[in-house]
Amino acid sequence: MSQIEIVIDEKKYAAQEGLLLIDLLIREGLKVPYFCYHEALGADGNCRMCMVEIEGQKRPQIACDTNIKEGMIVRTKGQMIESVRRRILELELINHPVDCAICDQAGECKLQDFYMDYGLYDSKIDQAEKVHHKKHIDLGSNVMLDQERCVLCARCTRFTSDITKTHELGIVGRGDHARVTTMPGKKLDNPYAMNVVDLCPVGALTSKDFRFAQRVWFLTSTPSVCHGCAKGCNIFIDHNKEKYKDERIYRFRPRPNADVNGYFICDAGRLSYKELQENRQLEMLIDGMVSKEDEAVACYHKLVADGGKIVILADANLYTEELEAIQKYAHILGAQLCAPLESYRDESFGDDWLKSSQRAANAKGVEKLGIAQILSTDPVALLINFNHPDGSKIKAQKSIHLQTHQMEGKADLVLPLAPFSESSGTLVNEDGIEQFCPKAIWRNEPLMSAIEWIDLLQGGER
Amino acid sequence: MSFVFSEENLAKIEALKLRYPSPAALSLPCLWMAQYQDGHISLEAIEVIGELIGTPPMEIYRVATFYTMFHLEPIGKYHFQLCKTLSCALCGKAEVLEHLIQRLGIRPGESSDDGKFALSQVECLGSCGTAPVMQMNDLYYENLTPEKIDAILESLEGEHR
Amino acid sequence: MRECRIVSQKFDIYQSHKLDIAKEHGAYSSLKDAFALSPHEIVEIIKLSGLRGKGGGGAPAGAKWALMPQDGAQTSYLAVNCDESEPGTFKDRQIISKDPHLLLEGIIITCYAIRSHSAYIYIRGEYSQFAKILQEAIDEAYGAGILGADVMGLGYGVDVTIHRGAGAYICGEKSAMLESLEGKRGHPRLKPKRPEPEWYFGNPTLVNNVETITTVPYIIKHGANGYRAYGTEQSPGTLLFAISGHINKPGVYEAEFGTPMMEYINRYGGGIRGGKKLKAVIPGGASTAVLTAAEAECAILDYEHMRTIGSALGTGGMIVMDEDTDMVEALKNLLEFYHHESCGQCTPCREGTGWSDTLLGRVLDGKGSNEDIDKILELAKTMDGQTICVFAPAVAIVIRAFIGKFRDEFEARVNR
Ligand SMILES: Cc1cc2nc3c(=O)[nH]c(=O)nc-3n(C[C@H](O)[C@H](O)[C@H](O)COP(=O)(O)O)c2cc1C
Ligand code: SF4
Ligand code: SF4
Ligand code: SF4
Ligand code: FES
Ligand code: FES
Repeated sequence: MSQIEIVIDEKKYAAQEGLLLIDLLIREGLKVPYFCYHEALGADGNCRMCMVEIEGQKRPQIACDTNIKEGMIVRTKGQMIESVRRRILELELINHPVDCAICDQAGECKLQDFYMDYGLYDSKIDQAEKVHHKKHIDLGSNVMLDQERCVLCARCTRFTSDITKTHELGIVGRGDHARVTTMPGKKLDNPYAMNVVDLCPVGALTSKDFRFAQRVWFLTSTPSVCHGCAKGCNIFIDHNKEKYKDERIYRFRPRPNADVNGYFICDAGRLSYKELQENRQLEMLIDGMVSKEDEAVACYHKLVADGGKIVILADANLYTEELEAIQKYAHILGAQLCAPLESYRDESFGDDWLKSSQRAANAKGVEKLGIAQILSTDPVALLINFNHPDGSKIKAQKSIHLQTHQMEGKADLVLPLAPFSESSGTLVNEDGIEQFCPKAIWRNEPLMSAIEWIDLLQGGER
Repeated sequence: MSFVFSEENLAKIEALKLRYPSPAALSLPCLWMAQYQDGHISLEAIEVIGELIGTPPMEIYRVATFYTMFHLEPIGKYHFQLCKTLSCALCGKAEVLEHLIQRLGIRPGESSDDGKFALSQVECLGSCGTAPVMQMNDLYYENLTPEKIDAILESLEGEHR
Repeated sequence: MRECRIVSQKFDIYQSHKLDIAKEHGAYSSLKDAFALSPHEIVEIIKLSGLRGKGGGGAPAGAKWALMPQDGAQTSYLAVNCDESEPGTFKDRQIISKDPHLLLEGIIITCYAIRSHSAYIYIRGEYSQFAKILQEAIDEAYGAGILGADVMGLGYGVDVTIHRGAGAYICGEKSAMLESLEGKRGHPRLKPKRPEPEWYFGNPTLVNNVETITTVPYIIKHGANGYRAYGTEQSPGTLLFAISGHINKPGVYEAEFGTPMMEYINRYGGGIRGGKKLKAVIPGGASTAVLTAAEAECAILDYEHMRTIGSALGTGGMIVMDEDTDMVEALKNLLEFYHHESCGQCTPCREGTGWSDTLLGRVLDGKGSNEDIDKILELAKTMDGQTICVFAPAVAIVIRAFIGKFRDEFEARVNR
C-alpha cells in the first residue's frame, strides 16, 4: 500500500493508504474519544464515540471503521461533531452510577476523561428509573465486575473469545438488559485473565489485587521488563513513595510492544511485583549475624584470600552488563563461572503464547556471553553466588551469597543485592531481542547491584 | 441433573448438520429441541449443545439469552403470550389481558403455583389483522374476546381430565 | 382500482398449500421457461421488470441479484427473509401458509439465477404453525423431485431448509438474520462501504423477502412487461398491502402500487370501524412516519409518493387509528416495542430506546414536563444516523412524526 496524504483538522498527515483512521488519530495524539476500539482487538463499532466528520459524507462516521484514502478531509473538532459526541456520551452515562469518588478506576477512566472534556453532565435522571445491575461480582482470577459501570464495549469479552479463546466472559441478555457475565457457576480462569482489567475503559472491571490500594494519580510509572520468564514482556512498574517510607510498587501493567508481548502480559508476571517487596535480603550477614559494611568487606576478602578453588554462580535474571562484570571478575579471580539454565526450566509454566518454560529473564544473555551452564558437582573451597537459585547444590567448604531475597541454608557471608527494579541494564529475551530497563525504584538506603559490589570489592583489594 | 438429547433429536441434529456449511449454525435448532424436550433450557443442555456443535457453551448461553422465546427457567405448561403491540392494543387487548389475569390468577411474567399456566405479554406476533392475538405454546388464537378465552381454558380443562 | 392477483392468486383456493392442488392451478409451471434461459438472462428480466424488494426497503431486486458472483466458482446462498416482525405486517405469513409452493417455485428460479444450490428460509420463531405448513410443502416437493439434487429433471439441484428464529425483531435486518442463521445472536453487522452481497459463513449470499421471491415466477411467466402492466413507472407491480387497527375488514389484500391510500382503506378495509372519523395512519409498518388524516387523504401507495409526503411505503402494512385514539399512548406502545427489541449492541440505540420509553412513561403518568418532551426529541436526534443499523434511525422517525404532528396531545399531558 502506498503512502498518501490526508487532512485532519486542517493539518496534513502522511500515512499508509488503507490504515484505520482511528489508528492514525491515536498515533498522532489527536484526541478522539473511544471505548470499544482497541489496537489488539480491532473494531467492533459498538460505542459510537469515535465519530468524526468526513468531507463528502452526509453523516458523521466512526473512525474505527474508516480506512483512510488519498485526499480525505477529516474534522475531529467543531460544534457539530462535538455535540454529536456529547449526546452519545450522555447516553453512555444514563445507566451509569457516576460514582467516580469511590471508583478505583478514577483517573484512568475514559468515561470520566471524556465527560470532563465535554462539559459536565447534568443528571436529571432519577436513580429509581435507571436500569439496575449487579455490583461487586467476583469473576475469578482477581477480577471484580461492577455491571452498573459497564459501557458494554465488549473489550473484555472479545479478549476471552478472540485472544485467549477461553470464552469465559460474554455479553448476555438483550437491549438494555445486556450485561457482562461468566456462565452461572463458572469463573474467569485463564493465565492471562487480569488483562481484562487494563482493557476495560471504565471502572467496571477492577483488580482485587489493586482495589482501593492506591489512587492512580499518585503513582509514577517506569518502563521495565518483566522478569517472570524469558519472554521479557514489556511492563510499566507503577510505584509511589510516601513520606518517610520506602518506595513501594503497587502493580505491574503491560506496556505495548508489538515485537514482544503485544498489549498483554500473563497474570503470573503481573503479580510477580509482590516478590519484589517480600522476604527481601536487606542486611549483610556474617555467619548469620547482622554486620556492618566494613566488617562484611573484610570478611569477604578473608574468604577469598583463604585460597583454593573458587566457583562463581550467576543468576540468569541478572542484566547483561552485570553478567559481563561478573565474567570479568571471575577471570581476575581465576574462578570458574557458571550459570546453569536448567535450574529455571518449568515445563508446566510455558504455553504457546507468551509464557515461556525458561523462566530466567536473561537466559539468552547468558548463552550469548558464552557462560558455562554445567553445575559443577566437585567439592570446591569457595562458592560466590550471585543470586542463582541452585547455590545449595554446590559442595563448597565456604560460601558467599549475594542475594536479593532471603534464602534457606547457611552461608558464611550474605550480601544484599539490588533486584532488577532497583538497578538498570539490558536483557536479551528468548527471541534474541535486547531490551533496556531503567532503574525504577530508589530506596532511602539503596542496595548495590552486582556491578557496584564488584567495584567495591575490587577497589578494596587495590 | 444431566441432560441428554433423545435418540430422535440426535438423529435430527445429525441430519441437519448436512444442511449447513458449519455445525455452529445449529445452535438455534438445538436450543429449540432442548426446550421442547424439557420445557426449558438448562445449563446442562447448553453444555451438551456446545459439545455437539463445537461451539463454546458461553456462546450458546449468549444466544439463549438473546431470543425471548427461550426459557432458561422452568415455566408453566400452558404459556399464554398475549400480543401487546399497537394493532392489538387498538383492538381490545387490555380487556383480554384483564380477563386472562383474572382467570389464571397470575400476572404477566408469572407462572401459576401448580406449574400449569404462565402468562406473558409479547410484542407483535405478525397477526395484526386478527387482533387481539395470543400465542399459547405453538398455536395462535386470533380475534380474541373474553368469551374465547373462556372457551380455550375449558378445552384445556377437558384435556386435563 | 383493478383486481390484481400476482402473489395472492391461490389464496382463496381450498387447500392450496397441498402440492396436487397447487399444481392443478399452475404451480411450478414457470420452471421449464426459467431453465430455458441462462442465469444471466433471468437477472436481466428481473432488472427490467423493476421488481423492488418487498421486505420494507424497496431496493431494486435485479441490481442486488447482479451483485452475486456470476462465475459460480464460489459457493453461494439464498436466504429468504420471513422474519416478519414489523408491527402491522402480516403478509408473508399468508404466502407460506396459503401458497408455499409459489414461494418454492420462486426460490428455485432465484437459486438458478444466482447459481446457488441452497436456500434457507428464516422464519420468526412464533410462526411455528405456519412453518409446519411450509415444511410439509417442502417435504412434498422433495418427494415429487421438485426439490433436491435434480429439480424436475432439469439438471439443477436446489435444497431448501427452514431455519426458525426464536423471538427477536432485529433478526429481520438482513445481516442480523445471517448472524442468527450462523447460530449467533442477532447483531447487525457493520455496513460495507460499497455495494456488495451479504455474507453467510464468508460466502456471498442474497437476502430477499418472501414476497419478493414469490413474485419471481409470475415475472418469468409473463415477462418483465407483464409485471410492469401493474403499478407505476418507478414502483411497478403489486404488493400484499395489509391493514389493521380501527378498520372494518382488517386483512391482507394485494393491490398495485399507485393505489390511493383512502381508496384502499375504504374499498378493501371497509372503512373506519364504528363509523368513526380517521385520525391517523401508520402507512407501512410501525417504523414509518405516521400520517395525519389529512395526509392520508392525499397519500398514494407507492414508494415515490410516500416519500414526497415525508413518510415511506415500508412493508405496506397500514395501522389505522380512529378519532378516539390517544396518540401519546400509541407512541408509548411503540417505544416499548423498540425498547424491548433493540439488540443492545450500540450505545445510542440501547440507551436511547430505553430512555425515551422511560421519559414518555413519565409524561403518560402525568409526571412529565415540556422539557421531557424536548428531551425525547433530542434522543431521536442522537439515535438518527449514528448507529450500526437503521433500527435506531427508524425509532427517530417514529418519535418525530408522532410528537411533531400531535404535539398538542403530548403537551396536554404535561400541562394537566
Ligand atoms: C430493523 C429491521 C427489521 C427488518 N425486518 C424485516 C423483516 O421482518 N422481513 C423482511 O423481509 N425484511 C426486513 N428488513 C429488511 C431487510 O434488512 C432486508 O432489506 C430485506 O429482507 C431484503 O429483502 P427485499 O429486498 O426483498 O425486501 C428489516 C430491516 C430492518 C432494519
Ligand atoms: S466490563 Fe469493561 S471491558 Fe467489559 S464490556 Fe464492560 S466496559 Fe467493556
Ligand atoms: S509471559 Fe513471562 S515475561 Fe511475560 S508477563 Fe508472563 S512471566 Fe512475565
Ligand atoms: S441500532 Fe439498535 S438494533 Fe441496530 S445494531 Fe445498534 S443497538 Fe442493535
Ligand atoms: S471506538 Fe469506534 S465505535 Fe467504539
Ligand atoms: S400488533 Fe398484535 S399481532 Fe401485530
